Amino acid sequence: MSNFNLEIIILVVGFLMIIAGVYCLIRTYHLLKILIGIEVAMKAVTMFIILAGHINGKINLAQTFVITMIVTEVVVAVVAAGLAINLYRKYGNMDVRNLRKLKG
Amino acid sequence: MEAIIYICLGFMLICSFLVVRIKSMLKSAVALAAASAALGIIMYVLGSAWAALIEISVCSGLVTVIFISAISLSNTDKKELQKLYEDKKRMAYLPVVLIIGGIIFIFVALSTDSLLPQAVSVAQEIDNFREVLWNNRQADIWAQAIVIIAGAIAVTVLFKEKDTI
Repeated sequence: MSNFNLEIIILVVGFLMIIAGVYCLIRTYHLLKILIGIEVAMKAVTMFIILAGHINGKINLAQTFVITMIVTEVVVAVVAAGLAINLYRKYGNMDVRNLRKLKG
Repeated sequence: MEAIIYICLGFMLICSFLVVRIKSMLKSAVALAAASAALGIIMYVLGSAWAALIEISVCSGLVTVIFISAISLSNTDKKELQKLYEDKKRMAYLPVVLIIGGIIFIFVALSTDSLLPQAVSVAQEIDNFREVLWNNRQADIWAQAIVIIAGAIAVTVLFKEKDTI
């Protein structure tokens, strides 16, 4: 049990969160749920970046990366939510299989 | 302080499981906000106070509002949702996948003697965050500005009601 320090437990929890997010990503057809799966996986990656900064002592550099990542995450969420709403207006649901029917 | 991190990690894992597993989209969005808040606490305890502030205010606040707005604009009955997407059936194997993944990761962690180096003290680094952000990482700031402008333009185009040509 001596191997179980804090960093390893954070790594294991992060990998499990990535598995949950990717599972959600590949198993559902709901566009908003897919977006939520991406968000769950990105939370784990954010935690990994902070953990890396904590381990090598460059926590400020890690913070700047995390801030950039959060900004990108919000823009992705906003644009994907707009796409989902447009899909709902056109087809009455948010099924991604409907995206195959779009042309032009 | 480590006990707080352990509690928040457990809470975050449970919330992430619920986010993926819950049928109701609204509850799913709220569980995602709770996971973000727990991540913010972990960040603060690990010494990154500014990132924790932005994580809690933006990811736990703004993104949840965006999701809830999108859900309220597409008001579909829960039974209809279940009939259309069959999420209950499709998500049935998630606990099995998580347990197998957890066992594999714990086994890998136990089989390696020194997986990670010891953490370096960051006490002397905390004060010069402003210098790193504004002087050393200016490219990031410009990239953020461009991404925000691109996102604003994309939203304007997506929510356009009629063609104005």
